[in-house]
Amino acid sequence: MISQVFILSSKGDHLIYKDFRGESGSDAVGVFYEKVTALTGDQPPVVMSHKDLHFVHVRQGGLYWVATTTADSSPFTIIEFLNRLAALVKDYCGSLSEKSVQMNFALIYELLDEVVDYGYIQTTSSDVLKNFIQTEAVSSRPFSLFDLSNVGLVQKQLSRRLGFFSFQGGKSEIFVDVIERMSVVIGSNGMLMKADVEGEIRVKCYLPNCSEMRIGLNEEFSIGKSQLRGYGAAVRVDEVSFHQMVRLDEFDSHRILRLCPSQGEQTVMQYQLSDDLPSAPPFRLFPTIERDSGGRLLMYLKLRCDLPPKRFSTFHNLSSPDQSAELKPQSRAVVWKIPRFTGGTQLSALFKLEVPGLSSASLLEVGPVGLSFELPKLTATGVQIRFLRLSPVQPGPSQRWVRYVTHSDSYTIRI
Amino acid sequence: MQEWANQLCENRQFGSKMTDSKYFTTTKKGEIFELKAELNSDKKEKKKEAVKKVIASMTVGKDVSALFPDVVNCMQTDNLELKKLVYLYLMNYAKSQPDMAIMAVNTFVKDCEDPNPLIRALAVRTMGCIRVDKITEYLCEPLRKCLKDEDPYVRKTAAVCVAKLHDINAQLVEDQGFLDTLKDLISDSNPMVVANAVAALSEIAESHPNSNLLDLNPQTINKLLTALNECTEWGQIFILDCLANYTPRDDRESQSICERVTPRLSHANSAVVLSAVKVLMKFMEMLPKDLDYYGTLLKKLAPPLVTLLSAEPELQYVALRNINLIVQRRPEILKHEMKVFFVKYNDPIYVKLEKLDIMIRLASQANIAQVLAELKEYATEVDVDFVRKAVRAIGRCAIKVEQSAERCVSTLLDLIQTKVNYVVQEAIVVIKDIFRKYPNKYESVIATLCENLDSLDEPEARAAMIWIVGEYAERIDNADELLESFLEGFHDESTQVQLQLLTAIVKLFLKKPTETQELVQQVLSLATQDSDNPDLRDRGYIYWRLLSTDPVAAKEVVLAEKPLISEETDLIEPTLLEELICHIGTLASVYHKPPSAFVEGSRGVQHKRLPGSAGSGESVESPDTGSAAGVSDAPPAVIPSQGDLLGDLLNLDLAPPATTTGPPPPTSSGMQMGAMDLLGGGLDSLLGGDLGGSPAMGAGFGAPPAGMPASFNAPVSGGLDDLFDLGGGVGMPSGAYSPPKSIWLPAMKAKGLEISGTFARRAGVVQMEMTLTNKAMSVMTDFAIQFNRNSFGLAPAGPLQVLTPVSPNQSIEVALPLNTVGPVMKMEPLNNLQVAVKNNIDVFYFSCQYPISMLFVEDGKMERQVFLATWKDIPNDNESQFQIKDCHLSSDAASSKLQGSNIFTIAKRTVDGQDMLYQSTKLTNGIWVLAELRVQAGNPNYTVSLKCRAPEVAQCVFQSYEAVLKN
Repeated sequence: MISQVFILSSKGDHLIYKDFRGESGSDAVGVFYEKVTALTGDQPPVVMSHKDLHFVHVRQGGLYWVATTTADSSPFTIIEFLNRLAALVKDYCGSLSEKSVQMNFALIYELLDEVVDYGYIQTTSSDVLKNFIQTEAVSSRPFSLFDLSNVGLVQKQLSRRLGFFSFQGGKSEIFVDVIERMSVVIGSNGMLMKADVEGEIRVKCYLPNCSEMRIGLNEEFSIGKSQLRGYGAAVRVDEVSFHQMVRLDEFDSHRILRLCPSQGEQTVMQYQLSDDLPSAPPFRLFPTIERDSGGRLLMYLKLRCDLPPKRFSTFHNLSSPDQSAELKPQSRAVVWKIPRFTGGTQLSALFKLEVPGLSSASLLEVGPVGLSFELPKLTATGVQIRFLRLSPVQPGPSQRWVRYVTHSDSYTIRI
Repeated sequence: MQEWANQLCENRQFGSKMTDSKYFTTTKKGEIFELKAELNSDKKEKKKEAVKKVIASMTVGKDVSALFPDVVNCMQTDNLELKKLVYLYLMNYAKSQPDMAIMAVNTFVKDCEDPNPLIRALAVRTMGCIRVDKITEYLCEPLRKCLKDEDPYVRKTAAVCVAKLHDINAQLVEDQGFLDTLKDLISDSNPMVVANAVAALSEIAESHPNSNLLDLNPQTINKLLTALNECTEWGQIFILDCLANYTPRDDRESQSICERVTPRLSHANSAVVLSAVKVLMKFMEMLPKDLDYYGTLLKKLAPPLVTLLSAEPELQYVALRNINLIVQRRPEILKHEMKVFFVKYNDPIYVKLEKLDIMIRLASQANIAQVLAELKEYATEVDVDFVRKAVRAIGRCAIKVEQSAERCVSTLLDLIQTKVNYVVQEAIVVIKDIFRKYPNKYESVIATLCENLDSLDEPEARAAMIWIVGEYAERIDNADELLESFLEGFHDESTQVQLQLLTAIVKLFLKKPTETQELVQQVLSLATQDSDNPDLRDRGYIYWRLLSTDPVAAKEVVLAEKPLISEETDLIEPTLLEELICHIGTLASVYHKPPSAFVEGSRGVQHKRLPGSAGSGESVESPDTGSAAGVSDAPPAVIPSQGDLLGDLLNLDLAPPATTTGPPPPTSSGMQMGAMDLLGGGLDSLLGGDLGGSPAMGAGFGAPPAGMPASFNAPVSGGLDDLFDLGGGVGMPSGAYSPPKSIWLPAMKAKGLEISGTFARRAGVVQMEMTLTNKAMSVMTDFAIQFNRNSFGLAPAGPLQVLTPVSPNQSIEVALPLNTVGPVMKMEPLNNLQVAVKNNIDVFYFSCQYPISMLFVEDGKMERQVFLATWKDIPNDNESQFQIKDCHLSSDAASSKLQGSNIFTIAKRTVDGQDMLYQSTKLTNGIWVLAELRVQAGNPNYTVSLKCRAPEVAQCVFQSYEAVLKN
């Protein structure tokens, strides 16, 4: 059960404060800010307690979203809730910032009233909320684009709906993003030791009246180790979870997700794959590390991109002239930045480091290489959106976007 | 796109000036008046703007309660936005203005009849949030209607309102029959209503543990399971948490519930997943392990747990804390998933450390190679803390997986080769543990360790190295040289190293007596004469005496076989683990503490405790310790001399004429101050230990012990006295529960007034029962009594009631009720009480000792779970064991006898004809004392082990045990 919810700016200003159960004083806000700013990096910030009060918080949009509780409640519930609340506020206000929260405090209080009652979370679905706020329409001024207060009742009824999504400029658009994150560990002998992919399909919907949409995935999409479908190379994942609103009656037979998208953004499907990538990892590193006669540490790094060349055919600067490298003494790291890297090519770099008191043992101390990158238009698992159908058929110009991207989560090559 | 929207917003702001942010602009004087005027304006718009401004001020913490009547006046409106704003204000301020809040009642009641369901719900919701007692009676009728409303939105709001009302006035809710209505709502057609009714009932049931409110039977469970499929994700959590409290009748029912809960495991909301895991983990206990379904279920649990690790770091951390519990309970679930717990370089440190812990728990012979390779990699990372933990983890693997020990040791040796300072030190610390686990197996590495002797600069590593040298002194040729080199800087070492060095050299001496005599004498004199650390000194004296009286015994003591250590030491105790498993997904599972330890209701366990380890010994400068023999001659546990007593009592407001006092006057003021400081200092450290939050008590007591005169002969027995006089006991009247009266103040010392008395606890009240006898020639009148500060804050609850004058040779009986809210000061012995009695003749002083059993309170019975957790939580150092001789009671008789004195038996176990009684008792100041009483049939000697966070009380408690059992 949530006792209080408050939103603080990064400087600790009170933006929103709501007490649901009258169990604890408003000085909790001050206590929280003191505690959170006194945290050192290695302390888990997730749950903090002060006397009988427990704080759970997340940071989003540079703001602290905090809930307190006095009972043995579930931190999962509270963290999930705070994330949803932030998403809701973002959906309603258009963006998350100190300013947007300040501008809409009355609206956020109203939202909070509907979302939580006496510490019990009621609903965070923007669809359901929209209904309530529609009836109480007078106050639903999502971000005050249209000042409804001085227009007549009839006009209010008309413009209310517009309000919700008109920050999209009145365009009806829908985005379906397939986002994957890769965690790879390559051993010092070049062996692939671990390769995990976490993926999600995210829908951002700004359509005024979309009652149902169907998303078709690859027919050969299969779940688990045993199940194989289709004739070609299977697209396989280990585990899938779906948003509650997704109906799966066509999923088993045709790999189709049916859903009625709410306005705003939601993750409809999440999936994981571990240790069985369909293709080779995208980058390989061939390091040589030695000590030269002058007592310097020599690091010769050769980095190869194993993606098919056509993937990045738009990039033609093979030599990558705008590379840069930097030594970060604080974190004892060398950072090598490569703005673009074409598939099928390789880059090399030689770093000479003056290390005081370098011994042969120090070579053992050279830690792993971490890569962070973004691969557009590519999914590591091979998950694809086959089609995207909306019903009823959208009148007028509507735009649909399907985007793929793979990020590195933790891509480590050991030396 | 968003930027664009922002920009647009800003433009609008300039144009229309209607956005909300302007309400936050700084305010000037007279603002309240301006607002007042605006609130009373005729224009709706202006009113609304004004209310918004008020709420903005409220949010940033300004006090706008003065506007209460004006805001309430705006309530009667058909404008819903305005109404909501006014309600928001009401909820915040109604409590501080209860009389004004009544003004709003009529509108609420009217709104509850409104045709619009949203207004009905809004009114009932807000009314419940106004926590004013007077309003509740007006709330009942509307609430009753709303509970039966046709609109589910109103019903679900009303369901929650019952919980709100119950919190304000539980009796009213029961009397009005709302609980039955709430129970009916569990069968409601709308899943949201069901979920809220379940949530409300669950909360109400928590405050009535024995009521059968949530009457869970197969029918209701079936309804809940049906609702589970339809309601929102948050509702699912309420229902799953409620299901977890149900106990199925048999394994078939258990299986069918599991089958219906399993689909929740693939929910996107991790809170739903965790609640489902909790239900499954619990119900799995009922399934026979050979059942096919059991295996299937195990398999199904792994993927969702792994999925949780792909969430953001905050959720990952919480998930890992839970997984840590699950792998301890059922390691088979995740035994194949070791790889997901390998750390990523971009994990936050707190996630890395948790993963490390789980890796070790999952380590087995099958995967140890993989784990070790991984740990070795971690040892080269940048983050020092993490590297240390990784090195330590290698040691734990060695201890856990016996077959891997050799591999671990060689990995550690590799790491020592890197010569990275902190890696080497950490490796040496864990190698010490490996030696403890596998003695006489890996001594070959000692040579390598010795090479790194000079680089060790951390106390723990130095102590570990010294331990190794001492333990294997016979195999290290130059052990004496090595230890001697440490000895040079003896005084600069930390206590840990000093203690270890002392022991190591004594070990060395016992192994090679001929060459090391000089060395051992050197260290003994360093430890006993030049050190002011009581622990070190005590240990030095013990060794010294052992060596000088009986070297054979010394050998047996010092070189005794040590128990092997095992990895079990870092596991959570099974009973606690079982409890924590029942709380998967909650705060308890993150803290790894039972909820009773941090949730309101059992605060006594958590907050009200005296400190443990910070004993009086450390801060008390003990008397000149020239020789051990001299000290042992000191009288045991002295009552403070009259001088000190007087000094303290002078500070009370009795104001006796200083010239006529009977007892000798204080010898010197310096000494007096010394006594104060001494006691004050002891208390400071006593309070400083765990009590932490309430320095107010400690603050008043004198200067820190540092400022104490060094030559002062403390009347308080130092650590050494205790050491040599353990059996001596303190001069405590060994009476019964209420001991017979003894003479406290003889007539000759008090100009003819004789006082004898005793203490008793009657109906929860401590009483001091006295007989005052006048043995003088004249009448005595005007009695008054006062206590000096004492260990438990005993103070007279009222004046001494001696109504009639006491004529010569007359005795009167007086009972003086006491309370325990007086000022606190630690006394020696703990139960000493210094009393001043005044009459028309003079002021007299005496001290007496009360049996501590009269401070045992009636609610000292601990919950079994709490007892187990607390018992485990209190360090073993705080345990003390006593013998009670010649007691001829059966264990049951003993139990009931002790119960009469508020020592409660919580559990009884019989092992090999020996009865073990587990007992708890609580002192008036909230200290819990846990006891284990062992009674062997036919043996008149009982053994009682006491555990308490404040070990000082153990001796007194034991005396009470003895007194109660023998009378």
